[in-house]
Amino acid sequence: MTDVASANAAAAAGPTSSFSMVEEPLDLVRLSLDERIYVKLRGDRELRGRLHAYDQHLNMVLGEVEETITIVDVDEESNTQSVRTVNRKVPMLFVRGDGVILVSPPSRAS
Amino acid sequence: MLFYSFFKTQVGQHVTVELKNDLAIQGVLESVDQFLNFKLKDIKVVDEERYPHMLSVKNCFVRGSVVRYVQLSPPTVDTALLQDAARREAQSTQQMQQAKPNVAPPVA
Amino acid sequence: MSEQQQQSATAVAKKTPTDFLNHILGRRVFVRLNSGIDYRGVLACLDGYMNIALEQTEEYVDGELRNRYGDAFIRGNNVLYISTA
Repeated sequence: MTDVASANAAAAAGPTSSFSMVEEPLDLVRLSLDERIYVKLRGDRELRGRLHAYDQHLNMVLGEVEETITIVDVDEESNTQSVRTVNRKVPMLFVRGDGVILVSPPSRAS
Repeated sequence: MLFYSFFKTQVGQHVTVELKNDLAIQGVLESVDQFLNFKLKDIKVVDEERYPHMLSVKNCFVRGSVVRYVQLSPPTVDTALLQDAARREAQSTQQMQQAKPNVAPPVA
Repeated sequence: MSEQQQQSATAVAKKTPTDFLNHILGRRVFVRLNSGIDYRGVLACLDGYMNIALEQTEEYVDGELRNRYGDAFIRGNNVLYISTA
C-alpha cells in the first residue's frame, strides 16, 4: 500500500484482466483491516482504534478506541475562544458511517 | 448486510446506543432490522440528571439514522470472524459493481 | 460528426465531469469539503460517490495547515469540489 496512484496507473495501462483488481477508494479502508486507524467524524470528534469491520457506507466496528472531542468555549464577557479536548476510551465500538469524514492509517499521520 | 448480520448476533446482549443528540441509552438489544433500527429493553439513560425525560421508559425503538455509536461488550465480538466477513463483503460489492457498472456509477 | 471524432474531441477538451476526473488521476489536487476544510494531495483514485483516496495529504482549516496523512480516504458526501492544485 505504498503507492496507490502508481498501482492505479499500472492497472489502467494493462488490459482489463478477468481477475481485475480495480483500485477504488474503499480499498484503502480494506487494506487497513486489523490495523489501527484514525477516523475524523462530524461534530469535532476523532477516533483512533483497530479496524475490525466496515461496509460501503463506512459503518465500522473498532476495538480499543480512543475518542477525542474538541470543544470550543466562548467567553461572552471577553469575547475570547478557548479550545479544550475531552478524551475517553471505549473497548469495542460500532460507528455509523454517515458521520465519517475521513479515514487514515494513523501511523502515517503526523 | 454485514452489520445487520452482526447485530443479529448481538441480540440479547447489553449495549449502549449513543445518539447524535448526545443521549446515551443502555439496554438489552431486543431486535434489529436492515436499516439498523434497534429495539431495546430494560433501558436506562446514562446521564439521567441531564436527561430525566425517560426515567419511566422501559423499552424503546431507535431509528437507525439517529445513531452515532453503539458500545459493545468485547467478549461478545468475534473480531477475526468480523474481519473475514468484511473482506468477503468488500469482494462481493466490488464484483457486483463490475457486473453492473450502471448501478453505482464508477468514475475511474 | 462521427463517433470517433466526438471521442477524440472529448479527450482533448475534457468535456464531461467524468473526463475531467479521469484526467486529474495521479495529479496533485485540492479538495474542499462542505465544512470548509481543505485537503491538498495526490489523487490516487475516486469512485461514483465521490469517495476519494488521497496520498501525501495536507489538511487545512481556515487556510492553516493542521495535519498530514500519508493516505486518506474521504467520504464522498462531504465533498464540495475537487480542483487541480
